Amino acid sequence: MESTVLKAIDFNAYFGKNQVLKNVNIDIYKNKITAIMGPSGCGKTTFIRCINRMHELTPGATVEGKMLIDDEDIYKMYPILLRRKIGMVFQRPNPFPSMSIYENVVAGYTLNGIKISKAEKDEIVQDSLQRSALWNEVKDSLHKKGTFLSGGQQQRLCIARAIAMKPEIILFDEATSALDPISTASIEELLFNLKANYTIIIVTHNMQQAARVSDQTAFFYLGSLIEYDQTNTMFTNPKHQQTQNYITGRFG
Amino acid sequence: MERQIQFRKVKDFFFKGLIILFAAVSVVPLVLILFYIFKQGIAAINWDFFTQLPKPVGEDGGGIANAIWGSAMIILTACIVSIPFGVSIGVYLSENGNRRLAYYTRLVVDALQGIPSIVIGIVIYVWVVTPMGGFSALSGSVALAIMMIPIISRTTEETLKLIPYSLKEASLALGVPYYKTMLKVIIPSGLSGILSGIILSVARITGETAPLLFTAFGNPFFNFNMMKPMHSMPLLIFNYATSPYDDWHRLAWGAAFVLMTFVLLLNIITKIASRKWKVQF
Amino acid sequence: MTHLEEELKSLKNEVSIMFALVLTQLEKAYKSLLEFDKDLAHEVLITENRVNAHELKIDHDCENILALFSPVAVDLRYLLAVLKMNSNLERTGDIAEGIARFLVESETAFSKELLENSEITKMFEISIKMMEKIEDAFNNEDTSAARTIFKQDVLLDKINLKANKVIAEHIIKHPEDIDQALYILSFIRKLERVGDQSKNIAEELIFYIEAKVLKHSNKKKVKA
Repeated sequence: MESTVLKAIDFNAYFGKNQVLKNVNIDIYKNKITAIMGPSGCGKTTFIRCINRMHELTPGATVEGKMLIDDEDIYKMYPILLRRKIGMVFQRPNPFPSMSIYENVVAGYTLNGIKISKAEKDEIVQDSLQRSALWNEVKDSLHKKGTFLSGGQQQRLCIARAIAMKPEIILFDEATSALDPISTASIEELLFNLKANYTIIIVTHNMQQAARVSDQTAFFYLGSLIEYDQTNTMFTNPKHQQTQNYITGRFG
Repeated sequence: MERQIQFRKVKDFFFKGLIILFAAVSVVPLVLILFYIFKQGIAAINWDFFTQLPKPVGEDGGGIANAIWGSAMIILTACIVSIPFGVSIGVYLSENGNRRLAYYTRLVVDALQGIPSIVIGIVIYVWVVTPMGGFSALSGSVALAIMMIPIISRTTEETLKLIPYSLKEASLALGVPYYKTMLKVIIPSGLSGILSGIILSVARITGETAPLLFTAFGNPFFNFNMMKPMHSMPLLIFNYATSPYDDWHRLAWGAAFVLMTFVLLLNIITKIASRKWKVQF
Repeated sequence: MTHLEEELKSLKNEVSIMFALVLTQLEKAYKSLLEFDKDLAHEVLITENRVNAHELKIDHDCENILALFSPVAVDLRYLLAVLKMNSNLERTGDIAEGIARFLVESETAFSKELLENSEITKMFEISIKMMEKIEDAFNNEDTSAARTIFKQDVLLDKINLKANKVIAEHIIKHPEDIDQALYILSFIRKLERVGDQSKNIAEELIFYIEAKVLKHSNKKKVKA
């Protein structure tokens, strides 16, 4: 039986007067990869940003409805504490340029003023980089700045940085869109290995990626959740005509 | 068709030649000035020049030691005053560029940049010198700081605007509060640009004479007390160049040479430093 | 191993299981014919459900892999070949079941003379050997082994051609055996089709490994 780690209940989101998400109800299951797909402007990025409350950073952005993580209302939590439970990896790899690779991985701790011993830091750095399949490539240059790495390596560094905080959920906002196919493939393999320990939600406009990688897929269109099902069902026999039209490339 | 292409090639060549000519013509006077100052000033440079006080009227020899120290202290204090304000304004403008307050702030800062330096000097005379009851190095620093702030704020704003938004997002997504994100991630990433802005503003005010006329006023002796009048190199050049004494003229050329070298060095350092510390995104 | 490679490996296991199931069906049908063992024949009938269920599973797995991974090149050829092999194997299973069904319904054992003259035992042995050979070829991805099937199929065809005459002669000599004789004739036709199924599987195997299409071609012209 799947256990639900994130629940959205009658969730709506607005930018000013513009409604971007309409009555979304969805259960995200633990230790599964859930892909959120849909054409541009369907609200998928907005939805994922509501999960870690990054949506509110845009002036004029508001929400209605409930979003629960482990049955706790995220809008009753401190955003800062929430964001430590939920990691996020962005479309453009963005390691902090003024910090070395080592410092980047533990940035979540040092920037937040969380005190940990050097030994603990070393362990976290090694563990996170190993889990992101980057350890072997950088173990001898931990104190160099991260910007000499290739795009795919930088993105894995960002993943290591997110993992270092030991989050429950990791959000990937089109995380491979800016990468070449080989780096993309290596990160997809990485996702597959990560799901044993984390719940993963990915937003992608590449439906083949959603098909390859995810266990559950949600299809959004114009702000509404049209269909949410197991990926193999979604791609062999979707229940809604709109979903089928989108997947077969008839529109969007 | 052939003829048209030929004609176009000629026009291209002509145009390129014209641009190069104009560039050369603008560079030549600059090079000549530098050269002349060098020639006139090098004669005055010796150990005494840097260590001795200026001698009283009529006596030969002496140096500009007090003016050098004075300039250094006034500029340093001006930096201490202007950097926090300039950088803060720059940060505010880069973050909140669309608000009403930002609009007016930018307007005021730009206007400030256009105010003649002598006017600033007079205003500071009224606001600082008069209440203090006398001339002081501090008032000079304040006047110079007011001239530095627009430059620092402008470069800070432009530098920070170039930093991709995704960097801030990455930090916020880690649960880092906003103020720490700015202080520990964004500003360090923009450090090279901000520093070049600061160095450039120092180069700008190093040679300013007018604001110091009514504020620091000048001092024939050594003075390390910011509350009292202090000498500086531009003041010295102003006074000595307009005097009838040859020896003072010599000292003025020497001071001009030192100033010019200092400003040149600052510009070169800015270029090297910004290239070395430039952060790639 | 990538996710796709794992799925393909798992699919290969499923096909191996299908091969094993179908071979066992054929062997049991053969044994029950030789020994007139109705119980064994009955086992074949019951196991047919498993064979069918397994065919559906393999079809479903192929559909999933195609939908989720959009494979290309050798992976795509592999899936297309597996889909066809799957149906070839299922039909072979059907044939074994058909033979077993006759055995269950038949009242008396088959006469030894009839079995010998029709060479049905030989046919059974050849077709089972062909199926074993192609099973090995599939598991080892060995196209030269696959190619040896074609020659053996010729032997089956020969026996099939002779069958009409042999059976007719036997009926004339032993009119009381007419029912049996007609059954045997039908078995011979079925076993010839088993040979064809093995041949098809061999063609699919060569297609996916070498991207050569051997269907509908004159095998004598094509060299290994």
